[in-house]
Amino acid sequence: MKLINAVILSALIFSPLAGAKSTGRIFVTNEKGNTVSVINGSTHQIEATIMIGKRPRGIGISPDGKEVYVAVSEENKMVVFDPQSLEILREFDVGDDPEAFAVHPNGHIYISNEDSAKATVINPTSGKIIAEIPVGIEPEGVAVSPDGKFVIITSESTNMLHVIAVPENKVVSNILVGARPRAATFTKNSKFAYATAEIGGEVIKVNVATGAVIQRISLGNDKAKPKDILISKDGKKLYVAGGRLNQVLVLDANTLEVLRGIPVGKRVWGLAMSRDGKRIYSTNGVSSNVSVINTDINQVIATVNVGRFPWGIVIDD
Amino acid sequence: MAKKITLFISATLLTMTIFSGHAIATVTTITLSFVGETNTLAFMGVSQGRDEANIQGMFLGQRYSFTGDVASSTAIFAAVGPYKLRQLSISYPNKAIFNLIAKDNELRTECLPNVLHIIPSELMLADAVAQWHKKQPGEQVRAQTWHPSFKKYAASQLNARFTQSSNHKMDDEAWAGWAAVKLLSDSIGRSQITDPLPLLQFLKTQLAFDGQKGIALDFRQTGQLRQPLLLINNNKIVGEAPVRGVANTINLDSLGITRCLKSPSPPNNGVHNEIN
Repeated sequence: MKLINAVILSALIFSPLAGAKSTGRIFVTNEKGNTVSVINGSTHQIEATIMIGKRPRGIGISPDGKEVYVAVSEENKMVVFDPQSLEILREFDVGDDPEAFAVHPNGHIYISNEDSAKATVINPTSGKIIAEIPVGIEPEGVAVSPDGKFVIITSESTNMLHVIAVPENKVVSNILVGARPRAATFTKNSKFAYATAEIGGEVIKVNVATGAVIQRISLGNDKAKPKDILISKDGKKLYVAGGRLNQVLVLDANTLEVLRGIPVGKRVWGLAMSRDGKRIYSTNGVSSNVSVINTDINQVIATVNVGRFPWGIVIDD
Repeated sequence: MAKKITLFISATLLTMTIFSGHAIATVTTITLSFVGETNTLAFMGVSQGRDEANIQGMFLGQRYSFTGDVASSTAIFAAVGPYKLRQLSISYPNKAIFNLIAKDNELRTECLPNVLHIIPSELMLADAVAQWHKKQPGEQVRAQTWHPSFKKYAASQLNARFTQSSNHKMDDEAWAGWAAVKLLSDSIGRSQITDPLPLLQFLKTQLAFDGQKGIALDFRQTGQLRQPLLLINNNKIVGEAPVRGVANTINLDSLGITRCLKSPSPPNNGVHNEIN
């Protein structure tokens, strides 16, 4: 018992969020509802709904847990709110039609500018642009490596993963993958990354440093239009949002074999994992709900109705 | 389905990477020839495709440019009628000729070995309308390849890019021009093949192209690009074909002719029914 307490205590002390008390809330952008749904992480009840602006999509949280960022696509801006008070703090411009982004551990935001074939690095405190990086056509997914040294941007119409070195903010490799790459995720050691190709219906594993494609597998179902992808805490499994397949697919991260499909709502796109890895949440656009998956049993344990067409999801834990 | 597996294996073998975004050591120039009127939307579509191919080429070491010398070009983009298309096919047997505007069914059943039809045939369009009528009897619709108000599958992004650079709305022939260059450059990027004849073979057998219509596109043995079509009523998109509830939406072969006839023959309205 003492040992367990000690483990918990040290986990609390060394948690990267030691500075801010986490709310445990789950935040979901509703693309057609123009809102953010606030879900209680323990009870899975809706605590609040925030009017955020037209067509909110990407959502992220600052490394200190004090700010949540929402890309409000049709208003060309990022809106910042406090995860505790839920008050809107400020907003800043991020170019045309902001969609997906990721927050780097250094606090900077990497965002893909879909209409201008570039990625932009922004300091969210000042709202200033730090760098603009030319990439392929229709840049979409953004992923940051755990060690912070790399950012991957997927370009959907050029079919590439662009690997950007940080802090240089320079492209170091361009990896041609299947048709319409949408999202990527890194392994814990930051050496490898996995990506989805929506039209190709594929999952691809790449070596980040060399830019080589190591493995590539077709999901083998014409309805499988994969979008978001996450890796389990132990690195052994991948979770892939299957789009119109209406399932979250569980893949063996080593063989890329599909182990099972977890039925969720319709047109599943967004995924988020709890810090302890025990829960995965999926946004089911057409069903307007969020599925809560227990990763021990890989089953849906709760479904939460949110606003219209949920898109992005982030957890404040 | 067997074809899909082949594609996957070969794509794995052809993986490639180029370092350092813009500083490519060697740049290969690929020349494209356009045959037809250049004050057309088909040509504007080809130009848009060329510009986009050059963005990918920037990362992979390829540069795409137009040439007036048809014989030396990598591929031919043809906005011409059936007579001229057949002539081109005979004159340049060892390179891909993309048909951007001729919808004649006979051009498909003839299976000209080097002609790739990007524009759908008349029969594909008629089948799309017929499918729609099974679902919505009495509704007057037209089938189209593309529409400037098409939004799904990032179609809105393509429409916006085209309008921004050409000042025109993207129509069927503009889409065909764009798609032809884009699927060529995509294939060159993946295969690193730039010789016209091997490239033609790659296109015919290994394509999985994202034409911004929501599904991977490839060629039939007739040379026709398999593709979903749009159903338009009063200049508004009312549906997509294959029509959900009437046909299998992921089987694009419910539209048009899928096989070659042994020899060129006169038009026969019953042909596609026999085959299906």
